[in-house]
Amino acid sequence: MKTLLLIFVFFTGPFLLLAQRVTGTVYERTEAGVKSPLVGVNVFWAETSLGTATDSLGKFDIPRSAKSNRLVISYIGFKTDTLKVSSESNFEIVMKAEGHLGEVVVRGSSSQIDRLNPIHTEIITTKALAKAACCNLSESFETNASVSVSYSDAVTGAKQIQFLGLGGQYVQTNVENVPTIRGLASTFGLNYIPGTWIQSIDVAKGAGSVVNGYESLTGAINVELVKPDAREKLYFNAYVNHLGRGEINFNLNQKLSDKWSTGFLTHASTLQNRVDNNGDGFMDLPLYTQFNGVNRWQYKSDKIMAQFGIKALTENRIGGQTSFNPSEHRATTKLYGFGNQTNRIELFSKTAKLYQDKPYKGLGLVLNASMHNTDSYFGFTNYYGRQRTLYGNLIYQSIINNTNHQFKTGISYLLDDYRETYKDSLMTRTESVPGAFFEYTYNHLDKLTLVAGLRADYHNLFGAFVTPRLHLRWQPLEHTTLRLSAGRGQRTPNAFAEYYGYLVSGRKVSFWGNRIQPEVSWNYGVSLTQTFHWFEKHWDLVIDYYRTDFRNQLIADTDYATQLASYLYFYNLQGKSYSNSFQIELNTLLSKRTEVKLAYRLFDVWQTMGQPFGHVTLQQRMMVPRDRVLFNIGYALPYDKWKLDLTVQWNGKARITNPLQSLEATLDGKHNMPTLFSQSFMNINAQASRAFKKFEVYLGGENLANFKQPNPIINAQDPFGKYFDAGQTWGPVVGRVIYAGIRIKVKD
Amino acid sequence: MKQLTFIFALILGVVFSTVANKPGKEKEVKIKTSAVCEMCKERIEKNLTLSKGINEAILNLDDKIVTVKYNPSKTNEAAIRKVITDTGYDADNLQCNQTAHDKLPECCQKGNESHAH
Repeated sequence: MKTLLLIFVFFTGPFLLLAQRVTGTVYERTEAGVKSPLVGVNVFWAETSLGTATDSLGKFDIPRSAKSNRLVISYIGFKTDTLKVSSESNFEIVMKAEGHLGEVVVRGSSSQIDRLNPIHTEIITTKALAKAACCNLSESFETNASVSVSYSDAVTGAKQIQFLGLGGQYVQTNVENVPTIRGLASTFGLNYIPGTWIQSIDVAKGAGSVVNGYESLTGAINVELVKPDAREKLYFNAYVNHLGRGEINFNLNQKLSDKWSTGFLTHASTLQNRVDNNGDGFMDLPLYTQFNGVNRWQYKSDKIMAQFGIKALTENRIGGQTSFNPSEHRATTKLYGFGNQTNRIELFSKTAKLYQDKPYKGLGLVLNASMHNTDSYFGFTNYYGRQRTLYGNLIYQSIINNTNHQFKTGISYLLDDYRETYKDSLMTRTESVPGAFFEYTYNHLDKLTLVAGLRADYHNLFGAFVTPRLHLRWQPLEHTTLRLSAGRGQRTPNAFAEYYGYLVSGRKVSFWGNRIQPEVSWNYGVSLTQTFHWFEKHWDLVIDYYRTDFRNQLIADTDYATQLASYLYFYNLQGKSYSNSFQIELNTLLSKRTEVKLAYRLFDVWQTMGQPFGHVTLQQRMMVPRDRVLFNIGYALPYDKWKLDLTVQWNGKARITNPLQSLEATLDGKHNMPTLFSQSFMNINAQASRAFKKFEVYLGGENLANFKQPNPIINAQDPFGKYFDAGQTWGPVVGRVIYAGIRIKVKD
Repeated sequence: MKQLTFIFALILGVVFSTVANKPGKEKEVKIKTSAVCEMCKERIEKNLTLSKGINEAILNLDDKIVTVKYNPSKTNEAAIRKVITDTGYDADNLQCNQTAHDKLPECCQKGNESHAH
């Protein structure tokens, strides 16, 4: 039986001014033929993450989007569908379920694919986020197959994303479409967005849209935060784990008048317990304290939508040998210590002018200013960094003749001012980049969508460059969607911030050859999304392949050591560097209440390395496991009375180095670098949560198999020596973690 | 591995023992309520579902009868009716808790049938 989506459109009358909000009610038709409202249906504008969910009466109310006129209605067990919205402002939508026949389409699973988006995009909803503790953004991808997150070293607690076989620095990480985790913030930035602040996360694979800049080399992650006019007036969350980490989050949203609302998102967390489970004399996790907050004001009228606010963060970390105390031992040979103090402040604003009679038209201005200070020490080595950034983006969107031909155009300006000192050397860099962009979208009956974007930017240090991007989405059959993408990306690397973990070592840091140039890559991708029937169940199958080819790349080379020192070389790529990423993912509903995901991912990533010491070879990129398998099973009772989740990840071997092996190779006069591999390992996470009338509690475990990387710190017994290295981390440093928490939500 | 098995057993065991509906043990009761609208339906169903021993609650607004599936070793019909009256609605012959009823939004209070959504 076919899923039906019946749409009744009520015109509010041609004389009325077009409302700037779209409202409606979503129903299902029950077996008795009675219309019954659907609660919690996701309603969002296609290609944006502006969304909402229906309330207890099935009603929704969503501001018009300047970016999209296609309203997507999606709900687990129902076929996701899309309305083209022009001047209408009130809808009655009847989604007819076919659940009683056991034919259910999986939506609302952890990686929901945005069906209409020409860019291959997975949407992580709050529902998927609730499958794990998700204390912060770095822990929000546990049930996602495309993004994996690992510790970058065994001391600092910094985390790195892996995406399409490459590091997080190649993914443009935006908060509400403003590039946020970049520059110096890329070291710890994933820890700076608490999970309870997150409304949804979009993960777009491949070259992104030109509208948000040129820095998305492999993809874009966009995080939408909880909005000031959200239904949850008050949200309190407390979390504690058995190692002693504690977190408190408190969100407050208040509508002040018809037009004004304000929201506070706050977070405090700490770990003050020294944990050394592997007995190497080093703390497995740094002690830390973080305070983090956002205050945002929002104004919505028929003509203007505006918001502005401030974000502030302070975080302190202390790591190193177990009894290290900075006031006593810092910069002495008594004990090795690591410390970091980060302070960050950000002012942001977004203004959109709306055209009441022309909903496809819009003018938006994004303005952002931030200051990021990071002050670190690794034993005797000090590193200080300061980044000041100004960002402005003016976007105009409209149509050519009809809504089949849409365009976005605008101008942008980015100012980055860096000042870094490492040991005694001072490095400063001011980047000033004005740019202009144009993006044309052709849409044919939602069967074929073509997006062609071009931007031109002028970089004060590296000159002018052009960024072309192309996306094609084709739906030849109802259940089959094909996507193609190609595009160029460019970014200026920050060696210390991006390879921070390598600094926790006795390595001698050396910039070799010419001045470090921007990283430039071309990314090509193809993906297939297919839904089908098998064993009387509905299945979602997603297969994708992406290739990233670097024209230039910052190479961080840790493969060389001599009797004098072990080295960390930074230099420009000379030769080939590429990444192939292949992924296959299958989702289904095993029963009404049980959903299952199985995914396999293959990374094949190579870099030309070894120039500084004359052993030029094509080597596998470090710390990238070739194979990964992810399995997730989730079970939920109505109203989430009980919710159970189990995730199993298997990570294959990755190439690693060891300064002692490098030294041996040098002494033997070998012309090949030693090639060492890590072990493969299994990571098992599980969580159970129980909802009560007014609150929800959860209990879970991470790394339940208790796998620990053996000797995550090389030469831990000689931390001030030449061959000490804590940056060769490929697996969990800390073993099993058991956590518990509570969520209290007050809706109006 | 032993510890691992233990933890699994703990988490999954606790949950499934609570959750698993052993079909033979489940009982069903139909209770007439004073629900008015869809909001009432959600409120009653949610409060019932999230109460101890209740596996499922479905309210039909046409006849206002809620069908509750429950585990008789954990709860009983009197307790189920009390959940409904405490939510602010009549349950069969039992009168609603007046305080809870007065806190309901106006549209959900008794005597508003004609304004049903």
